[in-house]
Amino acid sequence: MWDILKLASLRESQEPGGELCAVNICGRCGPHGRQTGMEPWLGPCYPAGWLGTQPAVSPWRAWRDAAVSLPLAGAGRASPKSGSGWREGRRSPADMMSTKAFTLVSAVEWELLAGDKERVHIECVECCGKNLYVGTGDCVVYHFLLEERALPTGTATFSATKQLHRHLGFRKPVNELRAASALNRLLVLCDNSITLVNMMSLEPVPSGARIKGAAALALNENPVNGDPFCVEVCIISVKRRTIQLFLVYEDRVQIVREVSTPEQPLAVAVDGHFLCLALTTQYIILNYNTGFSQDLFPYCSEEKRPIVKRIGRQEFLLAGPGGLGMFATVAGISQRAPVHWSENVIGAAICFPYVIALDDEFITVHSMLDQQQKQTLPFKEGHILQDFEGRVIVATSKGVYILVPLPLEKQIQDLLASHRVEEALVLAKGARRNIPKEKFQVMYRRILQQAGFIQFAQLQFLEAKELFRSGQLDVRELISLYPFLLPTSSSFTRSHPPLHEYADLNQLTQGDQEKMAKCKRFLMSYLNEVRSTEVANGYKEDIDTALLKLYAEADHDSLLDLLVTENSCLLTDSAAWLEKHNKYFALGLLYHYNNQDAAAVQLWVNIVNGDIHDSTRSDLYEYVVDFLTYSLDQELVWKYADWVLQKSEEVGVQVFTKRPLDKQQNSFNPDSVITCLKKYSKALVKYLEHLVIDRRLQKEEYHTQLALLYLDEVLRQRSGADSGAAEATEAQLKLRHLLQESDLYRVHLLIDRIRGAGLPMESAILHGKLEEHEEALRILVHELRDFPAAEDYCLWRSEGRDPPYRQRLFHTLLAMYLQPGPAAPELTVAATDLLNHHAADFDAARVLPLLPGSWSVQLLHPFLTGAVRSSVHARRTTQVALGLAKSENLIYKYDKMKLKGSSVQLSDKKVCQMCQNPFCEPVFVRYPNGGLVHTHCATSRHTNPSSPGPGART
Amino acid sequence: MRKPDGKIVLLGDMNVGKTSLLQRYMERRFPDTVSTVGGAFYLKQWRSYNISIWDTAGREQFHGLGSMYCRGAAAVILTYDVNHPQSLVELEDRFLGLTDTANTDCLFAIVGNKVDLVEDRAAEAREKEGHGPGTAGGGGGGSPQVPRQVRPEDAVALYKKILKYKMLDEKEVPAAEQMCFETSAKTGYNVDLLFEKEVPAAEQMCFETSAKTGYNVDLLFETLFDMVVPVILRQRAQGPPQTVDISSCKTPRRTRSGCCA
Ligand SMILES: Nc1nc2c(ncn2[C@@H]2O[C@H](COP(=O)(O)OP(=O)(O)O)[C@@H](O)[C@H]2O)c(=O)[nH]1
Ligand SMILES: [Mg+2]
Repeated sequence: MWDILKLASLRESQEPGGELCAVNICGRCGPHGRQTGMEPWLGPCYPAGWLGTQPAVSPWRAWRDAAVSLPLAGAGRASPKSGSGWREGRRSPADMMSTKAFTLVSAVEWELLAGDKERVHIECVECCGKNLYVGTGDCVVYHFLLEERALPTGTATFSATKQLHRHLGFRKPVNELRAASALNRLLVLCDNSITLVNMMSLEPVPSGARIKGAAALALNENPVNGDPFCVEVCIISVKRRTIQLFLVYEDRVQIVREVSTPEQPLAVAVDGHFLCLALTTQYIILNYNTGFSQDLFPYCSEEKRPIVKRIGRQEFLLAGPGGLGMFATVAGISQRAPVHWSENVIGAAICFPYVIALDDEFITVHSMLDQQQKQTLPFKEGHILQDFEGRVIVATSKGVYILVPLPLEKQIQDLLASHRVEEALVLAKGARRNIPKEKFQVMYRRILQQAGFIQFAQLQFLEAKELFRSGQLDVRELISLYPFLLPTSSSFTRSHPPLHEYADLNQLTQGDQEKMAKCKRFLMSYLNEVRSTEVANGYKEDIDTALLKLYAEADHDSLLDLLVTENSCLLTDSAAWLEKHNKYFALGLLYHYNNQDAAAVQLWVNIVNGDIHDSTRSDLYEYVVDFLTYSLDQELVWKYADWVLQKSEEVGVQVFTKRPLDKQQNSFNPDSVITCLKKYSKALVKYLEHLVIDRRLQKEEYHTQLALLYLDEVLRQRSGADSGAAEATEAQLKLRHLLQESDLYRVHLLIDRIRGAGLPMESAILHGKLEEHEEALRILVHELRDFPAAEDYCLWRSEGRDPPYRQRLFHTLLAMYLQPGPAAPELTVAATDLLNHHAADFDAARVLPLLPGSWSVQLLHPFLTGAVRSSVHARRTTQVALGLAKSENLIYKYDKMKLKGSSVQLSDKKVCQMCQNPFCEPVFVRYPNGGLVHTHCATSRHTNPSSPGPGART
Repeated sequence: MRKPDGKIVLLGDMNVGKTSLLQRYMERRFPDTVSTVGGAFYLKQWRSYNISIWDTAGREQFHGLGSMYCRGAAAVILTYDVNHPQSLVELEDRFLGLTDTANTDCLFAIVGNKVDLVEDRAAEAREKEGHGPGTAGGGGGGSPQVPRQVRPEDAVALYKKILKYKMLDEKEVPAAEQMCFETSAKTGYNVDLLFEKEVPAAEQMCFETSAKTGYNVDLLFETLFDMVVPVILRQRAQGPPQTVDISSCKTPRRTRSGCCA
């Protein structure tokens, strides 16, 4: 980029040796307070109007015609001699990356100055508010009023109206002009003398006050004197190696200090007590208060003209070796890297964040933020460049021009438009302290967002993410780039002006599928990250729906996670999308999340049935069962009960058996369930087991029914296999267990059923339930010959009963064993085992007579030992108990004797300790502590808990 | 933009690789550099401090700026090229004098850069010896005969000279030999530095680096940052920063004489 500026209104200089002139625009608002309170590190403020948001301040919003040439004041009158001050410059490398920071517009044209004169030479310029002063080589000072006018095209023009001019009466050029608006004075340096003239009339002050012997002057913009009605002026004296400091009042001047310098000073700037001086061979800082001088760096005044420019509190800009613009603080330190100018710089100005320099061909613009050259404007024969409170003025000897800064935002936008993100951010950040906070934040945020999109478009996702995050991007801006992701109901519209140039992702990736996929992956991770942060506030629906769509499309596992956790996916939009991508299982989850369980289940059932296809879950049937199990919607469960049972009775029945028990509303009426399960016997068994065993429902029907079902099963198995199977089947064990454990089933019904079925063990149990022990044991002993079972039977039936009951049972069994019969020897062994194992459960005295005499003692040794031992034990224990009882009795006797031993005398003087009345009868109660009370008092005292415990009464 | 708490300045002849070192450290890459004009600086956040690192131009033309860049520096990195002995000589002759404006307790590090080239050459040399002894300078592939590299001892020697120079000049610390001896036995140098006024051992402050490969670059800068932090703290403890009022600052007049001349 390269600005070609043509200035048609300039004329060729006709008189090279023309007289000295000066332009000056007056802007001194007074000696105090200028730029005070500014961060020394930050440099000066952005001039007003840089933000381009207040038309009043920024009439020059010349953004649109960035490439247009300089607006011409007298457009209709293009002079053939145009172009003298300008040339179409050569292309320098810096232009490749230029920013358009300024446009150059004309302010005062030659005709205005020259009038009817043949020649005029601008020597110096001063600008103060709207007052523009120009000093010329023929000793004339001109006063113009500067009007700024915004053009409909967005550019601005300046027109200067001449107020008056005055010849100062010398034959010398006007060297310098300085306005002191607080004093309403213009300081005019001419012929080595500074005259004070009225700013409006240009009349010298009547007192004739002046400073003589001045070669150059500088105003102290950071004055140390507290008086608002005086200006501190520093001059380079015509005396060798001398600097003088003056206080200038409305109509008098006063010298305050004279300082001599080690070498002849050539240029000076002042800040507080510090003078920054260009001497013959070097730059120095001189504290005129202490006299301390600090070397900065050497340079060669013979080779080039020095530049000393105060750029802000305690900081100066100096022309250094090799065309460097060096920054130095009053402490002699450089806090900014130098800018690189050409070797032949004539002047420098500051318009934050830019340093502007002038050489004989160009105006160059460098940023103080990154030291880069940002813009080059061809400008020939310029010899003055100065800034006046943010207004930058350049002048040739024939005309005055203004460098109009483009609004900062516009500059940043330009940088962003050419994808120079870093620079744009640096520029924006540099403005932080110069713009009201809220305003800055809004602006900066937007820039960050734009920068984010630029990075995004380059697939620099990490950078983009960081920028989106710090720019607090409305995520929907990003989502909206992706076609169809935002829900149709979303109220979102992209911000205006747009944050980027892309219609959508297709355009951005130009159809490159791989890029597209990358972008989608990025959005997935980004949305997933932000959805639970405050970034999502207010548009969770949009985010979650978009995320769902992305996941579904990419067949991403997280789709299910999204749907089973808290989410804000919009139903209609998401449903259509999921259907489109055959994500029926997920769709079911979505319905469920939206309380449409019926739809969800129907969908899943369809998948299981194979009506629609979605292979997300291979165990979908179990999933549905599980889902119904935990569903509170009974109707729904009933609706699909048959379906689940038909698929698998064992699994299907879980919808009834595995239900969480704690919730009341969740329980089904068992009778209805049983009715329903009539067709599904396996399921029915499971369900009854659930009722009887798990839930321990004490209802005869369930127990009986379960027992009968078990029995049926046993019988069914019997008829199948050969009936003599020795091992009890699982069904049989279950049946026995139930028959033993439950007391609720209808025993007689079962006995009837079982009769003749060849189930002796079960019959024995049933007889046992009826307390028909003889019969039960008979079956066990004689039919089954299962002696351990008989023994167990005795233990089972006597469980929880008193010992005699138990003894009775064992005796019954023993008697059965000892009955004479064909199987006697076998039974004999059983009998001895029984006796030996359960010695304690027998009454030995009753057993012994029953035993055949032929049995050896050896045979019954364990039983007999046990019996004898327990008999002896019983005797001894009884004796001990007897002894203890006797001694207790003795103790009581002793006590009684003791109490009887002392006598109590009762007279009418003694009173009852409780009621304090005398005893009228010989009956009384005496407490162990000796207290006497009426019998009725003692009775009432007993009921009184607060009184001491009762003692023995006599 | 925050005001830096401390300053580190890179000095050395042009082309020794100052800019490359800085870019290697700050940007983790080794790009082509253009000859530095005037100077440039980076801000580095180190712990809670902002340290500015100034890259200077080695060209004679900009020599005059060196003193100003060094003013108030907490550390100076003197850089030479291990393949050019002259660049080490220049450090003493031309650059050391510039550091007179640095803090009185300024740290010095001497950095021999471009060691990657040394290694290449060493390997090359071995190869030559192996294949054809006695043919040195022969048809080895047209590569120019390389100058003898600078030995690390030379750098250490320079470092000791610097200490001597600084101390003689400032007359407030014991003899250099004693200092080096004392401190070389120490290890926790940054702690010592904070509480006692001691100087780290010469070996510790001499580095050999390669901006190209990144060898030792982080070590260099981060060692230095750690050592600069106590200096910053000490400066803070001493009162307002010297950047504001030079009148109260008792900087001795610069001696224009070269360091060890
Ligand atoms: N091989 C090698 N070359 C280097 C190294 N450091 C710098 N260079 C090269 O040396 C030249 C000068 O580097 P530069 O950083 O500009 O030096 P400066 O003038 O001191 O800033 C460049 O061509 C670099 O690529 C290094 O460690 N190894
Ligand atoms: Mg360099």
